[in-house]
This record gives sequence, C-alpha cells and structure tokens, in this order.
Amino acid sequence: MTVGIEYYVLLSAALFCIGLFGVLTRRNALMFLMSVEIMLNAANINLIAFAFYHGNLSGQVFALFTMALAAAEVAVGLGIILVLYRNFRDVDVTVPSAMRW
Amino acid sequence: MVGAFEFAPAIALLPLAAFVVALVFGNGMPKKGAYAGILATAGSLLLSLWMLATVAGGEVYNEPLYDWAIGDEITFHFGILIDPLSALMLVIVSLVALLVHIFSLGYMNAEGETGLPRYYAELGLFTFSMLAFVLADNLLMAFMFFELVGLCSYLLIGFWFRTRSAPSAAKKAFLVTRFGDYFFLIGVVAIGATFGTLTFAGDASFVNEAQSAIDAGETFHGFGAETWVTILGLLVLGGVIGKSAQFPLHTWLPDAMEGPTTVSALIHAATMVAAGVYLVARMFGFYALSPTALAIIAFVGGFTALFAATMGVVKDDIKQVLAYSTISQYGYMMLGLGVGGYVAGVFHLMNHAFFKALLFLGAGAVIILMHHEQDMWKMGGLKDKAPVTYYTFLAGALALAGIVPFSGFWSKDEILYDAIILGLEEPIFLVAYSMGLLAVFFTGFYTFRMVFLTFHGKPRSEAARDPHPVGMNVKIPLIVLGVLALLAGVVNLAPVGKIAGMDIMFLEYWLDGQYTEGMTGLTYSEYSDTAGLDTTYIAGSQTITLLIAGALALGLALAGAIVAHVLYNVPEPVPHTENLGAAREVLRSNYYQDEVQVWIAQGLAMPTARMADRFDQSVIDGVVNGVSSVSLFGSGGMKRLQTGVVTNYAALIVLGFIALVVGLGVYGGWFV
Repeated sequence: MTVGIEYYVLLSAALFCIGLFGVLTRRNALMFLMSVEIMLNAANINLIAFAFYHGNLSGQVFALFTMALAAAEVAVGLGIILVLYRNFRDVDVTVPSAMRW
Repeated sequence: MVGAFEFAPAIALLPLAAFVVALVFGNGMPKKGAYAGILATAGSLLLSLWMLATVAGGEVYNEPLYDWAIGDEITFHFGILIDPLSALMLVIVSLVALLVHIFSLGYMNAEGETGLPRYYAELGLFTFSMLAFVLADNLLMAFMFFELVGLCSYLLIGFWFRTRSAPSAAKKAFLVTRFGDYFFLIGVVAIGATFGTLTFAGDASFVNEAQSAIDAGETFHGFGAETWVTILGLLVLGGVIGKSAQFPLHTWLPDAMEGPTTVSALIHAATMVAAGVYLVARMFGFYALSPTALAIIAFVGGFTALFAATMGVVKDDIKQVLAYSTISQYGYMMLGLGVGGYVAGVFHLMNHAFFKALLFLGAGAVIILMHHEQDMWKMGGLKDKAPVTYYTFLAGALALAGIVPFSGFWSKDEILYDAIILGLEEPIFLVAYSMGLLAVFFTGFYTFRMVFLTFHGKPRSEAARDPHPVGMNVKIPLIVLGVLALLAGVVNLAPVGKIAGMDIMFLEYWLDGQYTEGMTGLTYSEYSDTAGLDTTYIAGSQTITLLIAGALALGLALAGAIVAHVLYNVPEPVPHTENLGAAREVLRSNYYQDEVQVWIAQGLAMPTARMADRFDQSVIDGVVNGVSSVSLFGSGGMKRLQTGVVTNYAALIVLGFIALVVGLGVYGGWFV
C-alpha cells in the first residue's frame, strides 16, 4: 500500500508553514533556530517523496546532504546565539538592531 | 662602431649633471657651483666641436635612442639627429653657454648675490634643455625640450623673485610663450595624426610623407594636401612666434630684462629665442612645401624687424635697447628663412648669437662699471676708463648695425639680397624686403645712439666718473666674442665669392651637405628645389644686384650711425626724442601692445571665462547636483526599510517571495 504523493506535499507544506510562522512570530532566538530546522525538514520530506515517486535515488541523497548541512547550520546558529547572549544578556532577536542605517 | 656620435648624448647630459651637482652640493662648493657649470659646458663645447669635425669628415647621425611609447600607428621615441645644421648649432650654444658661465663669475659671484647655487643649477638646466632640443630627431622630443627651455627662462627671469617686477616679468614670459606653444602642441599632434611619424629626417620623416601626400594629391579633412601642410606649418609657427619673440607675441622679451644680464645674454643669443628660429630651420623642408607658410614667415619677420627697431630708438635703458634689437634681428632671420634664404637665416642666427651675446655681456660689464645703473643718460665717458669693454662692445655694435666687414653685415646683407631677388620676381615680397631695409637704418641709429650715450661724451653721473673695475673673467668672454663678431663673417662671404668667382661660401656648402655623404632631404639645394622660388636680378646681372643690395643696406646702416653721431656723439648729449612729438609717446609705450594684450585678456577673455563659469556653475553643476539630490532623497526614504530586526527581514523575504510567485503566475498565465 502506497500513500499518494499529494499527502506528502501537504505534510511538507504544513510543516513549512509552521516553521515560517515560527520565524515570523517568535522572538526567542532558540525558537527561531528550531523553526528554521522545521522548514528545512519540510523541504527534505518533499525531496524524499518526489524521489520515491520518480523512482530514483538522487533526491534521497540530497536529503542526506541537507541534513548534514542543517547540522552545520545549527552549530553556527548556536554559536551566534551564544555570542548574542554574551553581548546582550538575552536571546531576543529584536534586541540587537544596530546593524542598519 | 664606437665613433664620435656615441658620445652625442653626453653633450646634453653634462650640463644636466652640472644642474644636479650645483643644486645639491652648490652651497658647499667654491664659487657656489660655478665651476661645475663651467666644466660641464666646456665639456659640451669640446664634444660639440668633435661632432662638428666628424660631420665635416663626412658623417651624419640619425638614430633613435629610446622608445618610450609604442603604439600601432605611431611610436614616440627620443633620438639624436646630428647633421651640419645641428652640429653648428651645438657649437654655438655650448660656446655661448660656456662664456656666460665664465662671465657669471664676475657678474654674479663678485657681487655677493644670494641664491647662487640656484642660479648655476638653472643655467645648467637651461643649457641642457637647449642642447637636447638641438639634438632632437623628432618633433615631439623637440617640443618637450622647447617647453623645458621655456620653464628655465621663467625660472631665470624670475631669479630675483623678491623684487616686484621680476616675478611678474617671468610670469609674462611664461604665459606669452605658452600661448604660442599651445598652437605648437596642436601642430605636433596634428602632424603626428596626419603622417603617423614625427621624425625630422630619414625616409620616414613627416617631411617626406607630406611631400608624397602633396604629390599624390591626397586630401585631409576636406583640405588639399598643400593647404593642410600650410595649416600644420602655421600651427607650429605659433610656437616659433612665441619663443622667437615675433610680432604679436614679442611683448614678453623686453620685460625679460628683469633677469640677470648674463641670463639675457644666454636667452637672446643661444637658447630660448634662438630655439624658435632653429625650429624653422630644422623643419625647413616642411615649410618649403608651402609657399603660403613661407610668405607668412617672411612677412612676420620683416614686419617684426622694422616694428621692433623703431621701438628701440627711444629707449633709455641699455638693456631695453638690446632687447628690441634682439626682436628686430630675429625678425631678419625669419625674413631670411621666409624668402627661402635658408643659409642666410642660419648664417644670421650664428652671427647674431656671437654679437648679441657680446653686446649683452658688454652691457653686463657696463652695468658692473656703473654700480648697477642701467640708464644710459647716467653713463657717458666710459670709453677711456674701460677700453676692453668699449672696443669689444663697439665690435658687437658694428656687427649689429651691419657695418662692413663685421659679421652682421655679411649675414644681414645676404638676407636682404635673398629677399630682393625673390621680390623682383614676386613683387609682394618687396614689401617685406623694404620693411627689412628700412629697419637697417633704425638699427644703425639705435645701436650707435646706445654706444655714444654709454661710452662717449662726458660722464654724467658719479658712478660714470669713478667706475667699478672689471676682472679677467669678464674680459675674456668679451674678447673671445669680440673676435668672433669681427671674423665670423668669413665663413660665408657670399657677395665677395659671387662677384670674384671664388669658392668661399663655406657655410653654404656646409649646409648643402657638400662635406657629408649620404645626407638626403636636409640640404639647402633640396630645400630650394622643394620651395621652387624663382628669382630675378636687377638688370639681369647677379653682380649688379649684389652690389646694389649691399650698397643700400650698408648705406642705410651708415646713415643711421651718422645721424646718431651727429645727435649724440657730443660732450653733453640731450634727449632728442622730444622732437618726435606724439610719435615719441607711442614708441615709448611700445605701440600700446601691452595695453592691447591686457585688453584682450580683460575685455575679451575674462567675460568669456565668466560666461563659461556661469554656464558651468548653473547648467552643468545643476544637472549633476539635481541627479545626486534625487538619489539622496530617494535613498533617504528607502533606507527606512532596513530596521536591523531579523524578523522584519524574514518577513520581507517571505513577502518578496510571494510577490515573485504571484508575479510569475500572472505573467505565466496560471490564473487564466
């Protein structure tokens, strides 16, 4: 029994919207980072689903790459959050707003 | 082959070394750097004489030394051209420079001047520029050193820069000559662009290119080849008129008397002013292609000769008289060249270098004698107290006035002879000839007025009664030049040679390349063939024409001298210039030439410049400022987008993405 491709796409879209919502509304940098991860995984689901659908493996291989990339991204992101906390005693992303005109 | 010509660059580089040495070490050296200059110019003189001997031995040298810009169409290079003309000029320049350096020991050092290292350094640079100009084998190199000569004259005229008048005279000299040089520069560019080469000599010279363009009947920019050559020649002539102080750009030269007298000698005899006429002689083959350009040269020269001579008549300052005589004499050279008398013009250039250097150095000696007084009305009676100065000065004066057998007579007579034989064929040149002839009378008059007022009669001031003695370093240059002023004429006794049928016109053979082999395109006879000017003799006889021309010139010169003798060779001379009435004021004011030039500058150039400035300030700057303020205002609004809050950026990215997708959708027709 196979699940139709449209369900995967719906799941991925839902996850992506949740992530997007988090990015747009959350002020805590950690939540921010998590939301980004959710969006990445939404993309991964799409990749795997379509790879399965088309019957070739490159999509799945790309999903593996994306995970590795996400890990690296988390490392960098956490580093940024640490520095953020050290400088502002807070992890609220709206506080540091000096990088502008 | 290591020959004499391998050392040719050293002729120019030695004075350059002297310049560096005097500038850097001058203060610590004995005589403040004078010896460096004397040694360097003496070395240049010896090398120049060697070049002269080598050229006389039958060799010419025309080699590029260094390419400094290589293009597809044209290559710019430094190079050396040594032919009979430049070899002769090298000797003249280095000799006069050497004598001026020696004389400076008496004129500058003995007077306890300050800034002597600067003086000697500038003299060295001046000599270097002129020698390099003479050596130049292409027009661009000539132009560069032409400019450098102008710069050095600026520096030296303004040597006493603490006075009020010297800096302004220096600026005037610089600006007026620069005005002419501007045309010269355009001419250089135009010649290079038209013919693709700037070399003076050789198969690929611009002269040859112009010749073949005329033969092939080519057209440039809508002009026939010959008209275009005339235009180019006249553009270059602009520089010549400025440098050689021809009407109407002569006004800088009398003011240039503000410099030390030694500098005047150098400027007038061998360097700055001579550069212009030398340039015409250097590219005479080019001018010979255009009868119109030659006629204009002749008329400018003839007019200047007369015009300047009349102004010299009323001057009271000994150096001013000499200044106007220089303008006048260079007018003769231009007249000579313009009527096709290449040899005559160069001959007069050479003789003039000697006797004018002599007269200026003599005037310098007089100024030392007179404790730095230059007004001739305060002199008088110096004849017995300074016999060496007197007799050498007299030799120079006789040469300047053109009294036989002094050198000036032979060359001036030849110029006038060349003018009259051309004028008899083409009557329009008779006008130029008669101006030149009339100037002979004035020359004789003002020259001897100067001699009588300075040396004869009774002393008219304390300084003249008790003159300051002059030393050997003053007398030696005077004697050398005095002998040359007397004897230099023997190199080309054309009238004697032609009448007696003797082969004694050495300078003519020299410039005709008869002593050298393999010289093409640079000889007198080739120039004459190119110019193709027909001549006619009075009563069909060369002898009669020679005698009449010579007698007229000599008679008028003597008449001028006799008038001066009657009026001024008395114990207590009085100014007779008042008798001239209104003309006197006009002459003393130099025909209001300065006023005219000031009016052109203030009445025409200034309003034009103001209008241009207004246009620039309002229209051009308005557009530029308008564009920038629109951009400034726009960006002032746009920058508010950048809040610095990460969330906003994320929102903008999302909104932008949605807008993009919607846009693509509408464009791609998804919603249809």
